[in-house]
Amino acid sequence: MLEIKNLSTNFNTYEGKVEAIKGVNLKIKKGEIFGLVGETGSGKSVTCYSALKLLPKSAEIIEGSVILNGEDITYVSEGRMREIRGGEVGIIFQDPLSALNPVMKVNEQIGEVLRLHREEELRSLSEIEKISLYSSKKFTLSPGVEFTIWAFCLSFFSLFTMIGQFSFGLPFLTIIFLFLIRDFLQKDNPESALDIMVLDSLSKVKLPNPKQIAESYPHELSGGMQQRVMIAMALAGNAKMLIADEPTTALDVTIQAQILQLIKDIQKENGMSVLLITHDLGVVAETCDRVAVMQSGKIVEESTVDKIFSNPDHPYTKSLLDAIPKGGKKRLITKESNMEVVS
Amino acid sequence: MSYNILEINGLRKHFPVKNSWGSEIGSVKALDGVNLKIEQGKTFGIVGESGCGKTTLMRSLLRLVEPTSGSISFNDESGFTDLLGLKSRELRKFRKSIGVVFQDPMGALNPRMLIKDIIGEPLVIHGQTKNIIDRVVELLENVGLGKEHLYRYPHEFSGGQRQRIVIARALALEPRLLILDEPTSALDVSVQAQILNLLNDLQKKYDLTYIFISHDLSVIEYMCDRLVVMYLGRVVEKADTEELFSNPQHPYTKALLSATPSFDKKKEKIMILGDVPSPISYHDKEGNELATELTEQEKLEIKSIEGKGIDYIVRSSLNEVLPLIRISDTHYARIRILND
Repeated sequence: MLEIKNLSTNFNTYEGKVEAIKGVNLKIKKGEIFGLVGETGSGKSVTCYSALKLLPKSAEIIEGSVILNGEDITYVSEGRMREIRGGEVGIIFQDPLSALNPVMKVNEQIGEVLRLHREEELRSLSEIEKISLYSSKKFTLSPGVEFTIWAFCLSFFSLFTMIGQFSFGLPFLTIIFLFLIRDFLQKDNPESALDIMVLDSLSKVKLPNPKQIAESYPHELSGGMQQRVMIAMALAGNAKMLIADEPTTALDVTIQAQILQLIKDIQKENGMSVLLITHDLGVVAETCDRVAVMQSGKIVEESTVDKIFSNPDHPYTKSLLDAIPKGGKKRLITKESNMEVVS
Repeated sequence: MSYNILEINGLRKHFPVKNSWGSEIGSVKALDGVNLKIEQGKTFGIVGESGCGKTTLMRSLLRLVEPTSGSISFNDESGFTDLLGLKSRELRKFRKSIGVVFQDPMGALNPRMLIKDIIGEPLVIHGQTKNIIDRVVELLENVGLGKEHLYRYPHEFSGGQRQRIVIARALALEPRLLILDEPTSALDVSVQAQILNLLNDLQKKYDLTYIFISHDLSVIEYMCDRLVVMYLGRVVEKADTEELFSNPQHPYTKALLSATPSFDKKKEKIMILGDVPSPISYHDKEGNELATELTEQEKLEIKSIEGKGIDYIVRSSLNEVLPLIRISDTHYARIRILND
């Protein structure tokens, strides 16, 4: 599905070059959950951002290639890359609240993905169902315009009432009245194709009351719900591959268990591949099929989950496992972390 | 000889919820009748999810928030102190005996102060300015740093080193009790292991008592002698660590233990379904308890999980308030008594 061959990325800083990743090889098969574990600064995020070309300007890919579904995407154009991100590859980031736009409603954000990546399906849906494509046939105005009309009508109505010409004020009263019962009048108007698909993608991630959630802003939702919305967004473009960068770090353990279960369920239903980046070895043990351990820009060990936790080969993997506190007050074995700046 | 360094009785903190006219329409019961006894020289753990009142408990121990009712008493060599009766001047003196380490070390350190000033500040405030540099160096050496770090700024240190500096500062006034609010949640496992080792060493050296707040159960299991599990402002279970991990009684504790990711694939799984209830809505105007019917989300999640062979509990069933029942001498839990 995704194959990373001998990928190296450098960051150019004033103090010299930082070799963030050096010759990383990864192969993610179709329909498997692949874990990428490592400490802060080990290059796990840089690996996935290099693969998707989401790197800052100071970084450059020195060598290597990225192959997605048989297509070499190392040097493809930015336009094609945009189609891939969100379309073929969905991404979930660590902190859902900072990844979601705070001033856009949930349905607008998911709608944006659908418009960009599933335009054709939207068109065919609207033709078959004979409904409008984007906007539902509901009469809406921007808040500013609406306020102006309200103020205009109210002031004219009261003006005419005050000078004793009540009948002249009546049309304005009617407009106010129509505004008030607007929602009731439009109750049965058909939804747009976009709305239908947004609600569909929200209900796929098991959110209750998708209609209500679609109309709310991210801050109104709880952390778990926000992460579910993020997953819905990542999957909205019919992604065949999901990259989850520390998806549960900001969540409580109980909510974390729910989200991991959801990712597993969706993976099974759609037969997607998942690349799970995390520093929590427990999460990897519970969800992944295969796992790679990264240390200072290199993959030091790669094997199945069962093997790595029962019988790790590399000393670094062992030291990571030893550092996890277990019951009993034995002294934890530590080692000095090794970050290096190459100039 | 062991004695209780801290005793908390019936501690309540209700934050009023007001409508836009300013009249009170309800309250958030951040703490609702918490009783704790913390033994000298031991590590006491507090576990719970976000919003369960862990942090409010910690803040009310320092009187950073004023509790609504209840009592906190602190015992040490100098005798017995009623914490809630202290006047502001006495309170400032008293705060010497409790040290705090917060979660985010970068947020706890002033980025524009040198390390020597950061660690020396509590000493200056409490008038212990004699040989201050020597004292600061001693504190730094205690936490595994040295003289060469005196004239540096916080940003020059790594996350683990920053947390060491925060610990050194907390120890500057020789407190009897150290409150650790998620001290390692921002750190990697290997750095976390270093900090935990350091904390254990310091505890032995200075005979300190720790209150350890965390949501990471493996850390709690490693560090604590006794612990409480909190849910929505109440203590739902308290026991010695080994007892709690081997024989959990409350459904929430069971689910929490099973939700912790582990390497044991055969471990029995219990999922908690549903979202945390909003702290504001959980008491309506008449003061009725939270609804215990299933919510929409819970129904949906039950449907999706059924037939997969996974055990589950639903959050709405946890809303009912049950009395704390004695299971053994050291083990208490809020569970329903089964009629034999």
